Amino acid sequence: MAMLEVNDIHTFYGNIHALKGISLTVEENEIVTLIGGNGAGKTTTLRTISGLLSPRHGQVKFEGEDISSTPAHELVYRGITMVPEGRGIFSRLSVSENLDMGAYSREDKSKLQDDYDRVFQLFPRLKERRKQVAGTLSGGEQQMLATARALMASPRLLLMDEPSMGLAPILVENVFETIKQINKDGTTILLVEQNATVALSVADRGYVLQTGEIVLKDNADNLKKDEMVRKAYLGID
Amino acid sequence: MDAVWKDSSREGLIFGVVIIFFILIGLTVTLSDIVGNTLDLNSDSMIGNTRGLMVTYSILGLWIGIRGANTAERTWSTSLLSSTAAGLTTAVLVGVSVFVVGILDAADVEMRNYLVQLSRPSVQLLIFTKDPVSGSFLTAGIFIISSALGGLLSMATESQRNSQQWQAVFLDRFSNLSLKRVKETFHSSPRLRWVGYGLFLAISLLIPQFLSKYWNYAMGTVGIYVLMGLGLNIVVGLAGLLGLGYVAFFAIGAYTVGLLTAPAPISLQIGFWPALIASVVLAALTGILLGLPVLRMRGDYLAIVTLGFGEIIRVLIRSDLMSPYLGGPQGIRDIAGPTIFGVSFSSEKAYLYLIVIGILLAIFFTNHLQNSRVGRAWMAIREDETVAQAMGINTLYYKLLAFATGAAFAGVGGALFAARNQYTGPADHTLMVSINVLCLLIVGGMGSIPGVIVGAFVLKGFPEILRELELYRLLTFGGLLVVMMVLRPEGLWPAPRRRLELSAEDSSTPVLEDEASG
Ligand SMILES: Nc1ncnc2c1ncn2[C@@H]1O[C@H](COP(=O)(O)OP(=O)(O)OP(=O)(O)O)[C@@H](O)[C@H]1O
Ligand SMILES: [Mg+2]
Repeated sequence: MAMLEVNDIHTFYGNIHALKGISLTVEENEIVTLIGGNGAGKTTTLRTISGLLSPRHGQVKFEGEDISSTPAHELVYRGITMVPEGRGIFSRLSVSENLDMGAYSREDKSKLQDDYDRVFQLFPRLKERRKQVAGTLSGGEQQMLATARALMASPRLLLMDEPSMGLAPILVENVFETIKQINKDGTTILLVEQNATVALSVADRGYVLQTGEIVLKDNADNLKKDEMVRKAYLGID
Repeated sequence: MDAVWKDSSREGLIFGVVIIFFILIGLTVTLSDIVGNTLDLNSDSMIGNTRGLMVTYSILGLWIGIRGANTAERTWSTSLLSSTAAGLTTAVLVGVSVFVVGILDAADVEMRNYLVQLSRPSVQLLIFTKDPVSGSFLTAGIFIISSALGGLLSMATESQRNSQQWQAVFLDRFSNLSLKRVKETFHSSPRLRWVGYGLFLAISLLIPQFLSKYWNYAMGTVGIYVLMGLGLNIVVGLAGLLGLGYVAFFAIGAYTVGLLTAPAPISLQIGFWPALIASVVLAALTGILLGLPVLRMRGDYLAIVTLGFGEIIRVLIRSDLMSPYLGGPQGIRDIAGPTIFGVSFSSEKAYLYLIVIGILLAIFFTNHLQNSRVGRAWMAIREDETVAQAMGINTLYYKLLAFATGAAFAGVGGALFAARNQYTGPADHTLMVSINVLCLLIVGGMGSIPGVIVGAFVLKGFPEILRELELYRLLTFGGLLVVMMVLRPEGLWPAPRRRLELSAEDSSTPVLEDEASG
């Protein structure tokens, strides 16, 4: 049984039919990427999975249970956490306050300290800047904070929306190294990206999304070789 | 160099506008009288005190000079230059206004028709019983000279003691800078905070003993506004929801006590205490019922719907339709007051105590909520609702909780208000009440408990002290708000940035460690 199973979901914004029947699966311990251009529906897909939107048709299953109409805040308790598009950090709060907010859902406070240690080990920069107001962090640091904050909920499935957005190439590499590390430590990841090159370099499998529909799915290596993907998303003819 | 001029004349501009505003509402007369009487000065004018006014202007001028000097580099020449620039700006503004007023008065224009405070004797005071030209020049001169002195003074004290300490002490008398220092010390240690609250408690318990009946009543009104401010503070300041129809819950509290204890229109007469509990419960329930559909909306919509709700309640209690049940335009008479062991205690003093107890309970309750998971959830919602939800926070639940708590506080306020007056009617529950409470939050500082208290005193207590202002309450509100936005955009006593400081090294369980009452 797949950890996450999305079956033919249709999501609407009013009359706008944003997702026209998306199906995908994520197995435990995988990194799966969802690539696509602007407005393809990547964010909408993640928001539907995480419960911020509910699908009009179709079904989202997490560990075998239907979660299509479970509200977002409950899913955090079940083990799904999202790093939102554009990071969504609490910009007026400090770095450690942001992390504390991330741990809001944790009932088991005894292991919390280990998690602080872990995220500070993953992101030593954040440890130095614990007391800094989050809004004054650099773009890269904000991405680190958003990721670290999501980890504080100790999720089993991490949904990431364009972590490379607005970062310099060198930083992007950095971020994706960390993503790999997080996955190795035992967190399953569904990664949404426009930057197909890096996304496919860390992912096991990938889906290509176009105007609300999946047009291609395969393992990462095959996708990298695919004619259409090379043209449209990797910028190679 | 340009920037120096700009910054310092901006200071002068603010002062100028404020002073003109004071002139228009007649505060200059009162102030000059107070100063004149204190210093035992003779006056040439019929009302107010000309020499007192000069001293008042000079003090203001010194203050302008010091603030002006603060905008510049710390050298003698730039200090002098920028303080004079600030003073000059004020001088021109006020001087021209005085000149215009003087000329109009000399031309027999009855300004009183438009601005009640600008009577002929008060104009005579403004021009120092001279002619308009010399009067306005004298005014401008005082500002220029005293502001230059202020600049020098600021520099002299600066060079004597390297810090601004002395200046702060000097300013203590005249500015809220002192408040800032109190505030900083207050927020820096939790123990001091309790000492602060203890002092506040002691003072509020002692003071009623020494106040006249009238002042006990006036302070009681301030107290009821503190209570309501504390409630709206939870809704607006902590949870970040813009609720405008707050008076609705006040009305529900008042009418519940009224209907349950008064002999008419429905004769239940169950006594004050059970009615008080009923009013709190009913207000909170109404908050939840209104909140359920409304809290799914955001920002502007929420403001408009709550505003509408407040008006609906008012229309209902006024209406002939409901008058058999709610008393209609006449309201409800003979509302019962509290009795303890059969002894009724209904003096103004007793009510003030009751209100103070209510406030203390509300503060305790708010503090408790704020420092718990609830407070953290509110903070997240205020910062970003969607992200809060993504952190696992049930936003609807916590928004409802904020709404219900705020409504309950207003319910208590309304209940006490109605019982104290032994009457309540539609006129008690106008939109103005909501605006007042929101204003006191803005003036005091959103999200801050001491801010609520300071704000209530400034907006409800101050007009009592200066009775004349009553007439101009709206104008005063407007003026105060504008001045506030410019001078202290965060309010007189803003909440400190709340910290949930977690140190990975020295605490095993990270907790929300609140450094201040907020
Ligand atoms: N709140 C909204 N209201 C109406 N339409 C929306 C809303 N959010 C997204 N859409 C529309 O839904 C479609 C999918 O948007 P979505 O944000 O999912 O795209 P995306 O793949 O994440 O794009 P990007 O890479 O630019 O972030 C777009 O056509 C967009 O205009
Ligand atoms: Mg997107």
